[in-house]
Amino acid sequence: MHREIYDRLEEILSGAPPDSAAKHLQQCEECREKVAAMAGQAALLRVLKAPADVEPRPGFYARVLERIEAEGPVSIWNLFAESPFGRRIAVASLALALLLGIYLVSIERTAEPMVAGGPAEQVCAAPACDAVATNASAVASPVSVVPGEDAPGAVLTRVDQDQPDQNQPDDDMLVNLVTYREQ
Amino acid sequence: MTSLIGVLPFPATGGGTRARTRVDHRNSEEAALVKRVQARDEMAFREIVERYQSKVFSIIYGILRNRNDAEDIAQQVFAKIYFSIKNFDFRSSLLTWIYKITVNECYDYLRKKRVRKLVYESDFSEEDAQRMEAAEPAIDPHPPIDTRLAQRDLVMKLLSKLSEEDRSLMLLKEVEGHSVEELAQMTGLNENTIKVKLFRTRQKLLRAASRLTHARTLAR
Repeated sequence: MHREIYDRLEEILSGAPPDSAAKHLQQCEECREKVAAMAGQAALLRVLKAPADVEPRPGFYARVLERIEAEGPVSIWNLFAESPFGRRIAVASLALALLLGIYLVSIERTAEPMVAGGPAEQVCAAPACDAVATNASAVASPVSVVPGEDAPGAVLTRVDQDQPDQNQPDDDMLVNLVTYREQ
Repeated sequence: MTSLIGVLPFPATGGGTRARTRVDHRNSEEAALVKRVQARDEMAFREIVERYQSKVFSIIYGILRNRNDAEDIAQQVFAKIYFSIKNFDFRSSLLTWIYKITVNECYDYLRKKRVRKLVYESDFSEEDAQRMEAAEPAIDPHPPIDTRLAQRDLVMKLLSKLSEEDRSLMLLKEVEGHSVEELAQMTGLNENTIKVKLFRTRQKLLRAASRLTHARTLAR
């Protein structure tokens, strides 16, 4: 669109083009097409014009007051409850908070022994334990693997010796060759 | 043609166009009324309702063409005004602010109802139909009612592509018939800014219309 039309566009569209703009439009097809398209669109927008005599029914103010009383002050939370976008934001925020919580808990569990015990001591008596301990140190795991304190190898312990289980009179149970203890 | 648009400067300020028009909306009679409402003066609120109810109702009716919906949304608009007038900052006129709220409420209503077609025939009362027939024709002096509905549907779709501000400005210009100077006074912007905004909005509408037509052609 040329400058003389661009400058006077609103006057042209309101039906009072200055002479210079009118002359230009006669000569320039490009501007004429563009102005015609914009004029058509402006006319289209006027379908939203209401007839002049529309009025609300009598007693409108009273009904507005009733509405105000019924609604009460608008809360900021209504933004999340009412609009679909707000609801999406709320759900996304909850999901993010949940993920963040899970992540923090898992990080804390992993980091706990390092903070509490410093470098993990590894005492391993059983040969099988060596491999486990080596693997553990290779991945710099803060959990150390120690054998049962009473004896290496299979450890037979008595669980609840004071209260023997009736269904299982011999409540000795074989636990693993090693016991894991977090330091 | 479009290549020139990006490099065009602001419209010229000469030839009777004034770049001023900073209206102080803080010291008008209307501002005093607003301040009274902000201080919870119910009589002042009543005055605002009585002053603007016809305008608000007519804007909504123009968009929805349904009296019951227009009444319901008009009540909602004034309830919103009541609760949010404390945030009114006097940067624009009260009418501009109310206009924006009104148009937004109409769009919210349409979104909530998920109305594809703007107005269904079942929504029309006989009175509505008579009023619509009697309304001022826009393009064709006697378009059939289904053509008018299609036109209104198209207009609403196009307007939905605009920002709230651009939409209000365009409606105030083309539907309410305000001049650039009046719009400058109402919005607190200068006339050049108004012209630039209107020009850009018109371009956006043309592009949106073109995309819509293209999409419809592809769908066939």
